[in-house]
Amino acid sequence: MDILIIMCIGVLVGNKLFPRQYKSFNEKLQFICTILLIFSMGVTLGKRDNFLEELTTLGWQSFIFCIFPLLLSLVVVFLLTYYFIEKKK
Amino acid sequence: MVYCAMIALFFGVIYGVYGFDIHFISYITSRSNFILYCLMFLVGISIGLHKGILNDLKKYHLKVFIIPFGIVVGSIIGGIFCSWITGFTLGESTAVVSGLGWYSLSGVTVGKLAGAELGSITFLSNLMREIFSFFLIPVVAKYLNFYSCIAPAGATSEDTTLPMMIKYTNEETVVLSVFNGIICSALVPILISFCYNNM
Repeated sequence: MDILIIMCIGVLVGNKLFPRQYKSFNEKLQFICTILLIFSMGVTLGKRDNFLEELTTLGWQSFIFCIFPLLLSLVVVFLLTYYFIEKKK
Repeated sequence: MVYCAMIALFFGVIYGVYGFDIHFISYITSRSNFILYCLMFLVGISIGLHKGILNDLKKYHLKVFIIPFGIVVGSIIGGIFCSWITGFTLGESTAVVSGLGWYSLSGVTVGKLAGAELGSITFLSNLMREIFSFFLIPVVAKYLNFYSCIAPAGATSEDTTLPMMIKYTNEETVVLSVFNGIICSALVPILISFCYNNM
């Protein structure tokens, strides 16, 4: 919820106050934040007890549990948005 | 962006595994929530700069629910396939995939419900979903449609994968992506509990 509130404040700032000429500067800052977030995620994972052992013993099953839901949601969302949003535009 | 993300993740894991403690880096990584708040503020500015985007969304009405609905249905069907392949029960398998990419919460929740092994599988599979999403979004944007980019991201479409949406889709998809993330995140604990106990 706090994330949503912060983003709404950002929307207001962008809509009312933020100078349009700094748009690309804003995008560069977003890039830096994203890379820092991904790096932090890696650090959190690496610090997790037995992370490498878990990855080697449970990695294959985890991959199956990742790939099927991911691909099937992709297919279902594509079909739904294609027929109910894109075709009706 | 994708290569930078891969490199950042790789060096992050190395930093964590080998227990390095460089004060400046540890200071930043221990405040990842603050970085996420900064990112969301900046993303908000991007959306706000596009006047009229929220009005454009009003034309969708109930259609904004199509994407989260598709993600949940697709993930559960995927969970049923996984049950056949791995031999876990239907309830266990669908509970694992109900994380929708939110690895921290789902890993802990399934771990408490079904034990450490399934908890770890939930953690890893949902983490993989988030990581694969980073790399799939540009491909899906190019070959399918912008809306479908939200599907692999699942519950993470409102935060960690959002910058990829901004980079590779349009403002309308970004707003739908945030909306989808909120709905999916709210559904994750409900779905895990429902699937584990009823399927």
